[in-house]
Amino acid sequence: MSEVQRRIYSQEEKNAIFDGEFMPHIDSMYNFGYRLTFDEDDAKDLVQDTYLKAYRFINSFEQGTNAKAWLFRILKNSFINEYRKKSKQPTKVDYQEVETYYNSDDVHYQSTSDLRAESVKDMLGDEISNALNSLAVDFRTVIILCDLEGFTYEEMAKILDIPIGTVRSRLHRARNLLKEKLQGYAQNMGYNTDEEEEEA
Amino acid sequence: MEMNDNPSGEKKVQCSDESKCLELLESILDGELQDSGKEILKEKLAKCQPCFEHYHLEQAIRDVLKTKCTKHAVPTELADCIRQKIQDIK
Ligand SMILES: [Zn+2]
Repeated sequence: MSEVQRRIYSQEEKNAIFDGEFMPHIDSMYNFGYRLTFDEDDAKDLVQDTYLKAYRFINSFEQGTNAKAWLFRILKNSFINEYRKKSKQPTKVDYQEVETYYNSDDVHYQSTSDLRAESVKDMLGDEISNALNSLAVDFRTVIILCDLEGFTYEEMAKILDIPIGTVRSRLHRARNLLKEKLQGYAQNMGYNTDEEEEEA
Repeated sequence: MEMNDNPSGEKKVQCSDESKCLELLESILDGELQDSGKEILKEKLAKCQPCFEHYHLEQAIRDVLKTKCTKHAVPTELADCIRQKIQDIK
């Protein structure tokens, strides 16, 4: 993960790493880029940019370690440093802003939802995707990394450059926000939520 | 009144330490506790109704996220385009 150059690979080794360890993740990378930007061209640019950087800094990648996490970290940084700067669209919530609003790692875990497992299971892919896409980018990101891509807390901490405690608390908040959205859909669709009285 | 040591094996209707329970359940669902998690989980789910419900909701959410979220196909030309650019800088 560090930028420290570990060794110098030969051209053959570089090719082998690039084809064998980097390129197989292009699918996940593209979907990550798309879910961050909601734009096909921006996603393509991000992925291409990431692979070019990965190649340029290939000597700082340790062969056999987690290439997917390494690539995701590069893409995430490109998104923050470059895409967001040039993007005309104002981002809904900034990383910094999120951390200021929710500054503590020791969340009090609460079950905030009347949503039922059965109604969640009945939901359509579009509803799930829309609910996820409606979350601020920092919350969306942790759910993508954890639930869609299967990264561990530790890997996520490295990808996002945040402590594991922050990963855990941000995920918890993200899922609670997601549940609120899903509950809204569930009520609109007349799914059974066991509310006594709706909370506004 | 909590029914902590109910001999009939009935579940508690109120969780005595909800915050801790939920944090634990969520870590287990995220695969963070591995084997030790399974034992703890079995015990919690057998004893505590709110934990039981929360667990199943959280699991359902993880399942639908994993299986139902729209996936976008990578544009076919992207991989070739990347390889070409790499060739150029080699
Ligand atoms: Zn409990």
